[in-house]
Amino acid sequence: MEKATAVRLPVTDQDGYYEIRLESIGGLGANLCGSMLGELGSSELGLNSTSFSSYGSEKTGTPVKAYIRYCEKEKEIRVHSPVTHPHILGIFHEALLSDPAVFEGCMPDTDIIINTEHSPQEIVALTQVSGRVYGVPAQKIAMETHSRINVVMFGAIAKIMGFVPLEAVKRICEHALGRKYPHALPANMEGLTRGYREVWTEAVCLEKTTVQTVKRDLPDWGYATAPDGGINPQYGNSICSDVSPSRQGFAPVFLPERCIHCGLCDSTCPDMVFQFAPGEYRGKQMMINRGLDYYHCKGCLRCVEICPVHALIAEKEADHPDKQWFLPNQDLLRTPSYYRESGPDGYITSESYLTEKRMERGEV
Amino acid sequence: MEEQQTEYASGNEMAAIAVRQIGYDVMGYYPITPSTQIAEKLDLMRAEGETDLTMIAAEGEHSAAGICYGAAVGGGRVFNATSANGLLYALEQFPVQSGTRYPMVMNVACRTVSGPLSIKADHSDLMYLLNTGWLIFFAHTVQEVYDFNLIALRLAEEVRLPAVVAFDGFFTSHQKCRCFRFANDEAVKAFIGPKKDPYPFFDFEHPITVGSYMNEPDIMQNKYQLHLAMEKARTGLPECFSAYQTLSGRQYAECEGYQWEDAEMILLLLGSTYDTATVAVERMRRQGKKVGVVTLNVLRPFPAKAVYEFCRHAACILVADRQDSYGAGGGNLSLEVRAAMQKYRSTAKIKSLVYGLGGMDFFVEDAVRIMEDALCDDGRDFYYYGIYAGEKEAENKGPFFAPLTAERTKLGIVNVTKLKKGIEAGGLNLNATTAMPKRIAAGHGACPGCGIPVNLNLLLRGIEDPVVLLFQTGCGMIVTTPYPKTSFKVPYLHNLFQNGAATLSGLAELCYRKQQQGEIPAGDIVFIMVSGDGGMDIGMGSALATAIRGHRLLLFEYDNGGYMNTGYQLSYSTPKGAKSATSHVGKAQSGKSFFHKDMPQIMAASNIPYVATVAESHPVDFMRKAVKAAEYAKGYGTAYVKALSACPLNWNDAPASERSVIEAAVNSCYFPLYEVEQGKTSITYDPDAYGKKIPVLDWLSMMGRTKHLQQSKYQDIVQELQAEVDRRFRCLRAKSEHPYL
Repeated sequence: MEKATAVRLPVTDQDGYYEIRLESIGGLGANLCGSMLGELGSSELGLNSTSFSSYGSEKTGTPVKAYIRYCEKEKEIRVHSPVTHPHILGIFHEALLSDPAVFEGCMPDTDIIINTEHSPQEIVALTQVSGRVYGVPAQKIAMETHSRINVVMFGAIAKIMGFVPLEAVKRICEHALGRKYPHALPANMEGLTRGYREVWTEAVCLEKTTVQTVKRDLPDWGYATAPDGGINPQYGNSICSDVSPSRQGFAPVFLPERCIHCGLCDSTCPDMVFQFAPGEYRGKQMMINRGLDYYHCKGCLRCVEICPVHALIAEKEADHPDKQWFLPNQDLLRTPSYYRESGPDGYITSESYLTEKRMERGEV
Repeated sequence: MEEQQTEYASGNEMAAIAVRQIGYDVMGYYPITPSTQIAEKLDLMRAEGETDLTMIAAEGEHSAAGICYGAAVGGGRVFNATSANGLLYALEQFPVQSGTRYPMVMNVACRTVSGPLSIKADHSDLMYLLNTGWLIFFAHTVQEVYDFNLIALRLAEEVRLPAVVAFDGFFTSHQKCRCFRFANDEAVKAFIGPKKDPYPFFDFEHPITVGSYMNEPDIMQNKYQLHLAMEKARTGLPECFSAYQTLSGRQYAECEGYQWEDAEMILLLLGSTYDTATVAVERMRRQGKKVGVVTLNVLRPFPAKAVYEFCRHAACILVADRQDSYGAGGGNLSLEVRAAMQKYRSTAKIKSLVYGLGGMDFFVEDAVRIMEDALCDDGRDFYYYGIYAGEKEAENKGPFFAPLTAERTKLGIVNVTKLKKGIEAGGLNLNATTAMPKRIAAGHGACPGCGIPVNLNLLLRGIEDPVVLLFQTGCGMIVTTPYPKTSFKVPYLHNLFQNGAATLSGLAELCYRKQQQGEIPAGDIVFIMVSGDGGMDIGMGSALATAIRGHRLLLFEYDNGGYMNTGYQLSYSTPKGAKSATSHVGKAQSGKSFFHKDMPQIMAASNIPYVATVAESHPVDFMRKAVKAAEYAKGYGTAYVKALSACPLNWNDAPASERSVIEAAVNSCYFPLYEVEQGKTSITYDPDAYGKKIPVLDWLSMMGRTKHLQQSKYQDIVQELQAEVDRRFRCLRAKSEHPYL
């Protein structure tokens, strides 16, 4: 249902659009949040709106961006390209703060809403650009209310936009979830409401402009330099991807004194993390587990599940800042300049099944 | 005007809504990004009882087109949706549909054509359709996707030609926005009118022959009839648009433009970038520059006159193509626009460029830039916009790994013995084989806990000879080779997934030939094709033919029971009753409707020397069979090995638990472990013998995709599945016990 009275957009770009960008990691539900923000504009605020996501992977841990554009109701939305200069920037995970590209195009008056439990002072140290920063402990609220981060962020972002009544946000959430997942609705309504109410009321204003460029250990091939036909002669160079951002708070910790070097961990690890080398165990010459290459551990914890002697245990990563058994890949001829990357430029483009399964699992 | 209601929806969603409202009979389809959502959305509506559309998930686009053709000949209203290589795979069917004059509608969410493989938008797929005799509409907005689906079907049935409704993949197919649809389905049905069937196929009193063999004078007449039908469409189109305007209030024409009337320079382009360009025109007009922009809503019949009328006053026309007709001096749109302008004796200067390939973003700034360049007449008649030469002096610091030559992989751990009854492999244990260098580097992008790299490592850790890998399209390929990265440390080739086995046949035979001729050193090389279960659906014909020809290579299938890299649509290996994006569970539908395909038995029936099933829960057995398969592949013929492969993302279970989920599948005999060596079946692990046999439901209950089957209302499905699993296992047992089976 459309509301009769339209809100007035506080600010627009030269073409008349008010723009939002969400920066997230696959699995946190930014797609759905973007779609709800889009629908909010058309259905509740008396505006015209569009929304779409970066067309990449929905794989867990892969970067996801969502874009939302508002304009006056009578105006058509004719720009279909990504949002480059957001009025609102929503950041769904603190791990993204270290990536300068996340802040691309931020303006001094961009409102940046971050899922964080850090204090304003700590956030200042972590963030690298200009803008007005608001924090909201979305993860914590989601866990406490058994809702999802995306609804909490939806509530918080709507609040900071400054022209959205809580009731409108609730109706959108009800529309998006209530019909199909009525059992999940009360928890998500609570999460959303708390997001709306608990986002900081005062912004921290940042005036940094240091956008660093990341030096990657990968070729910058163009038409004059790339081998013809897309051939890639740099075998095995995916090794320079640091995929550790895929870990979701837990990592396997190695207790070598317990290890019997059976090799089961190596047989179950999808990420070639375990570094075995010839050695001696109880007087016998055999392959010895020397450590873990944490650059490439995605935290699936398959190894923990399989270890027959509990030499690998799941621990909160925050409790183990210095991983004693961190051993980079021992086959390397040279050390790559590892760069953090949480996934490939993948290919899953349908959110319907994923949303459904998350809702059913009550995943936050 | 008819009553309408608003939707906040994407192009794919609006297409699905149109299909539901029209009340089509049949949709034959095969999932391909970015058009897949149409089938997914319709399947969801089916599950909820909102449509009774018969949906048939083909094993590939070629068959999907065949299903559509059959249903159209039968007098049904028929719908299809596809993109990119799917469209090309089905290409030969399109002239059949138009040449025998059976109307239907196909939506094309435009995407770039491989290779190299890419999934994003351009028009390189659509332009292959120009010569097929189909009507082609191009929707540049989500609203038009809905509207043109209605208009296209009406016109198609009027002139008895099939029609395409094309739109930009992702930009239009996936962007959600506010749009309108008719509130009542009856209004839609009335606009299209009743289906006319001049030659009813099922009239047994007046039987007809469809698809004659035709000689030369007749073909000429037949094609002229097709030409006439196209011309009839040209004259019928304005009436169609005007009837639609009466109904909807939305006015359409073959061409539309923005600020074109007095423009000195006109930019002409197709799709969503037209809208973006209108914003650029606004900006430039504010600076006093007289520019305009024009787009085409119809490509077939080509509106030459309308193009001329829109552009006749401009001194310069810039045609921007999102594809190239390589070697022709421009993309197809520019060629046709040049021809149209020449036909009407225009003296305008016409330039063209290629932009936005593979979904490269096109911002307002880009539109401004190309128009500025056209205005200042930089002398370029045709160019590529958005290219760069690359870093000149890229520092090459050398490889990260030592190459995996035979010396590095021949560790001497494995003993292979050739016995009278077959090949045996010993010495394989998990500790010793950790010494085998991994053929695939870390840093690949598979999901946490993914079974694919686990299975690949188990497959390769006992094989001491050099390996060559060919991957068919699928998750395994996508996550290992995102350019400019690659995880492969051995020679690797990708081909599209209906053709991997054939490609590897050619590759292997050439290698053997070169070895024979002494061009490359003699020595064993193991050629391995890696495919998902999706690749074994669409590529089954190619794999079977390869096996029957008996090429010396190994076909390895990782079966995760679904098309996982496109968002989990059903595959033929998905368990019956499982939910997926194209087999929803709802009041009118209970997940996937048919049993999982038994690929190992199909392969065994081709009488190849070695077939085996493997599971990561039995790693030593896995390695042993892999080594045996490699031996057969080197010396005897085709070997086929299949692993059940975990997908935590879409099985919806915990990544850490996957090995026990796989083990449960084995223990339930849903995925029995056995081998068929030179025709002799041996069950290599019988859960009964270890007291480990469990009901299939115990396994199904471990995964979110099948957990619902615990509910009593699905007990019939579970019983049927259990009976089928038991029956298949009894057959295996009989084969293992009897020397002739």
